[in-house]
Amino acid sequence: MLEYFNFRVIFESYPLFMKGFLSTGWISLISLFLSLVVGTLACAGRLSKSRFFSTPAAVYIETIRSTPLLAQIYFFYFGLPSLGLRVPELQTGILALTLNSGAYMAEILRAGMQSVSTGQIEAGTSSGLNYFQRLRFIILPQAIGVTIPPLLGQAIVLVKDSALLSLISVMELTRAGQVLTSERFMPAEGFFTVAVLYLILYFMLKFLSIWWQKRLIFRQAV
Amino acid sequence: MKKTWWILMLAVVLGLGFYGVATADTLDDIVKNGELRIVCQTQGTPFSFIDKNGKRTGYAVEVANLMGKEMGVKVTFLDYDWDGLLPALLSKKGDVLAADMTPTLARALKVSFTQPYYYTGSIIFTKKGSKFKTIGDCNKENVNVAVLLGSTGEADAKRVLPKAQQKAYKGGGPLLINAVIAGHADIGVNDDTAVVGQMAEFPPGSIEILPGQLSKLPLAFAVRSDDARLVQWINLFFDWIQNDGRQEQLLKYWVTTLDWKKDH
Repeated sequence: MLEYFNFRVIFESYPLFMKGFLSTGWISLISLFLSLVVGTLACAGRLSKSRFFSTPAAVYIETIRSTPLLAQIYFFYFGLPSLGLRVPELQTGILALTLNSGAYMAEILRAGMQSVSTGQIEAGTSSGLNYFQRLRFIILPQAIGVTIPPLLGQAIVLVKDSALLSLISVMELTRAGQVLTSERFMPAEGFFTVAVLYLILYFMLKFLSIWWQKRLIFRQAV
Repeated sequence: MKKTWWILMLAVVLGLGFYGVATADTLDDIVKNGELRIVCQTQGTPFSFIDKNGKRTGYAVEVANLMGKEMGVKVTFLDYDWDGLLPALLSKKGDVLAADMTPTLARALKVSFTQPYYYTGSIIFTKKGSKFKTIGDCNKENVNVAVLLGSTGEADAKRVLPKAQQKAYKGGGPLLINAVIAGHADIGVNDDTAVVGQMAEFPPGSIEILPGQLSKLPLAFAVRSDDARLVQWINLFFDWIQNDGRQEQLLKYWVTTLDWKKDH
């Protein structure tokens, strides 16, 4: 069967795959960065004492986590225009990915923050540190090291979720495979190459997170 | 040792014998298994769609049911998006592709098509009241054209509107109408029969069709390339339903008029 695997077509379609690869890379990068911002804000809101912040944050997180990403993408792309708000594909895709990953990141950050033992926080309070000083010197340094592996997991999920943007006609990596299938009828060659390129993206993210983790882990408190 | 040798030889001969039986063709398999598996579109009004009673129906579906009756087998439908139909047929998910597919030369390299059962053509549609009135209006730089991934509409749009921007959606025809109504695309290009049938499912007067056909497209069913007997049988079947008027009746009900709307 492997003799029918047409490598020539893969080399010919190299520009198409590169276009998709770079597009997926950019979309994932922007969405990742934005969703970290959104996630941090949502986490802060969720942990806030005042209900004015914690209720909207909780509603946002629970709504996003309970609905499928594809439904969210279709809602933003086809549903919003009927309510009067039309956003082009790329921006809709980044918006949907950001809001979706932001909710999951908020929960990961919350878990990281709450993993710091209360003994530490009590010691900080009794030493006279205020909320922001505790956050900066005690909680965050210990929380960040713990959250990096799950954040990497969510980043990988985000890259794979970006494949759904192919359904609203965004030119990205999965769409490159679809084009090869629909124009040259070669799904095996198309999607095998796409899978290899996603693997490359995964390893790039993995090395990034290992490097980041080494830089950010402070000495754990005894 | 001699006994083992004879048992081994017997096994090889029997194995070769079964190999011979296993290369019986698809038509024989369909009759033997009592099941005709049809690959059709998920939502491709009026050829294959789910009607308001939740049943799968349409021109292609009804013709396939007739085929099953003449063969004396039951018919199973497997539905896919437009660009998933050919891969499904090629990977043996089904034996016959029943849809409004045009036998393009590129597709004919991979599958065998039956004789055409109808002729349609690509048309341009737009939102009611938009500024696009002729084909010439549409061939401009900042015009967005909604097309279906892997369709003749996509190829026709590239050929007739080279300056416009294409947005290829993966799914079915109604997705294009949704995109045009939402404003994500200024115009859409698809088969005349598909647009007329699918327009009926949207509020009346939301879409209008521009005058002028971009191409003339035959529509046919498809089978895998090595199923020569199956494609001959289907061609013979089309001859029969053409000559006794059943095809004309079905086309009139489903394709050339909106009579199907009354019951479905």
